[in-house]
Amino acid sequence: MRTRRQEIQRFAVFALLPLSIFILVLVVPFGRGVYFTFTDWNGFDITKFVGFDNYIAAFQNDDFWQSMGLTLAYVAASLVLVNVVGFVLALLVTMPLRGVNGLRTAFFLPNLIGGVILGLIWQFLFGQAFPVLAEATGIPVFEENWLLDTTTAFWAMVIVTVWQMSGYMMIIYITALMSIEQEALEASLIDGTNAVQRLFLIKMPLMAQAFTISLFLTMRNAFMAYDLNLSLTGGNPYGTTELISLQVFREAFSFGNFASGQTQAVLMFVVIAIAALAQVAISKRYEVQR
Amino acid sequence: MAVIRRKVASAAGIAVAATLLFTGCAAGTGTDGSDCAEVTEITWLGTIKVEIQDQFKAAIEEYNATNADCVAVEILESPQDVPFLQTVTPLYEAGKAPTIMTALQEIPDMAPRVLDWSGQPLAELAAPGTLDVATIDGKVAGIPITAEAFGLLYNKAVLDAAGVDVASITTRSELADAFGAISETGVSPIHFSGLWWSLGAHFTNVYHANAAEDIEGRLAILDELKAGEKDLLSDPVFENWLDTFDLLKANTIDTASIADTDYDLGVENLAVGDAGMWFMGNWAEPNLLTATPDGEFGVMPVPISDEAGTYGNDSISVGVPFYAMIDAEQASAEQQEAAIAVLTWFITTPEGQAYWSGPVEDGGMNFIPVYDGFTVSPTTFMASEIADYIAAGKTLQWVNSAYPAGLQEAYGAAAQKYYDGVSDRATFAAELEAAWAE
Repeated sequence: MRTRRQEIQRFAVFALLPLSIFILVLVVPFGRGVYFTFTDWNGFDITKFVGFDNYIAAFQNDDFWQSMGLTLAYVAASLVLVNVVGFVLALLVTMPLRGVNGLRTAFFLPNLIGGVILGLIWQFLFGQAFPVLAEATGIPVFEENWLLDTTTAFWAMVIVTVWQMSGYMMIIYITALMSIEQEALEASLIDGTNAVQRLFLIKMPLMAQAFTISLFLTMRNAFMAYDLNLSLTGGNPYGTTELISLQVFREAFSFGNFASGQTQAVLMFVVIAIAALAQVAISKRYEVQR
Repeated sequence: MAVIRRKVASAAGIAVAATLLFTGCAAGTGTDGSDCAEVTEITWLGTIKVEIQDQFKAAIEEYNATNADCVAVEILESPQDVPFLQTVTPLYEAGKAPTIMTALQEIPDMAPRVLDWSGQPLAELAAPGTLDVATIDGKVAGIPITAEAFGLLYNKAVLDAAGVDVASITTRSELADAFGAISETGVSPIHFSGLWWSLGAHFTNVYHANAAEDIEGRLAILDELKAGEKDLLSDPVFENWLDTFDLLKANTIDTASIADTDYDLGVENLAVGDAGMWFMGNWAEPNLLTATPDGEFGVMPVPISDEAGTYGNDSISVGVPFYAMIDAEQASAEQQEAAIAVLTWFITTPEGQAYWSGPVEDGGMNFIPVYDGFTVSPTTFMASEIADYIAAGKTLQWVNSAYPAGLQEAYGAAAQKYYDGVSDRATFAAELEAAWAE
């Protein structure tokens, strides 16, 4: 039996430091942030409490809802595409082929480039390289600068996100594919399954945990996307591609509406929390106990 | 381990050297040879403008070196495309508020925290009317840095070749005729850039500044817009402005598209004479002269009415782009005095004025003086033209200084849509009106 004293000591040694850091840099600022949403905070000081006025204003703000809608569309599109591409890449590079290690590295590489640099690279590609490509090939898709139209600029962001993120998801899927028990696969071979059946009925259920993690990571990254948004489109054309983070930032710092920007940030947190919890709960159901 | 230790050692070395350097500075002797018993340290946020940052830094360095007022100024650099409030709010939060700040649209946000310039000698020296924008609830929150002007910049050589005399362009139709004459010489009449700030802040100002003859009338329109009571389309001035917008759009080099947001391209087109005019401001003059050193670039009004003599048709938009504010919340009385001393040095002493308004190539910042008693004045063609406009009273207000924070972005987005041909007049007007709702 450990004594209470020992328990406290163990807690102090292992948990006190991380816990206090967690409280200091996360809980306290977050609590302070929520507190600000009920005040008329102007970035400098607070003169009075305003109750739920900021929340009411946020709900009535068209720009906020437009950004929220765009963000949800962006999350949905990148959630599907990043994971489909990541999974397909994982299947490809786990096949016994020449040079798969080189391919793995190549697919993973974009993930090592920071969002801002990535945005600038693709800005160049869309703006300068596409027209050259259009001239050389005559393919009409490349003729227009994608970043100058709302719809194509949106898809440009999705494409760059997929390019950046799918390599990372690929690594997770590779690990999961490799950890599938050979017995299960051999048994299914004896049962006479074909490759498609093995993929959907054996491999995918056995690696459901990897999907839970990958979907969660993709979703979280997409909701919080900021640097790519800023450096690739900057919210343009005409401020129509502002994802929620950029919208919150501009509301606070460009427009000087700190309290309402903070309120939008809190609402964004609530939406992300609900979406993430729902996603994890749903994905968990598909996980198989081994 | 050895590597780490070496790094630590060299870091310590640098720290020691920096300390030595700093104390070396602080203990410097004044111009009169006397030691400063105590040096007041203050900070200056930003370098006023990115275009003249080297000159500004050199000026501050010299000021610190001479040590005349026993003041040491440290420049807090801030990236140019970061919003002012983003830089300044954390500094205030951290108790490290900058002593001197320069801003325009954020003056109302800063007013409760900064020094009241009322009755200060520098405020008395400021040109009449230049303090209006910075006066919030009777408190003079800032003093002007310089005046800038915008309008149609022109390349004199191109216009001379086309036989166009800017002084004779007094109406929109005459402007259209001039465009035609320039076209005939094989040069594009104008480069009308799709930059959001140029359209959103400066071009919309052409409407707001022409909208009424007196300042009360112009501000009343802003109030009506804010209250959601203004119908822009029924305003004949707005219609004239839209007609002018269309005219510039139709005559711009290539086609009007928001792909055309490259400032440097505008500089190049006007500087080499591929375009006769460019809707921009005098801040571009150094860029133009760098590209074409022997060129002559002037500025002319944007005549929006078709009746000569209509208010504003013969005037260029002149205003103060930045005001200097001094923190009064966290700065000590000595620091506030020191901040005033630095600005006084810039504005009233020959050395300071040489930096303030001297030519860029001589290390000056080429600011158009807005204070009494300046002995130095800019010598370039455009700057002297602007001085003539100011002397003749042919200036339009920068109503955009009175735009609330964020409005010029919303205006810019709406104007870019119209410029790009995505929205029609009715939608454009509705979007400009809606920009006030936020």
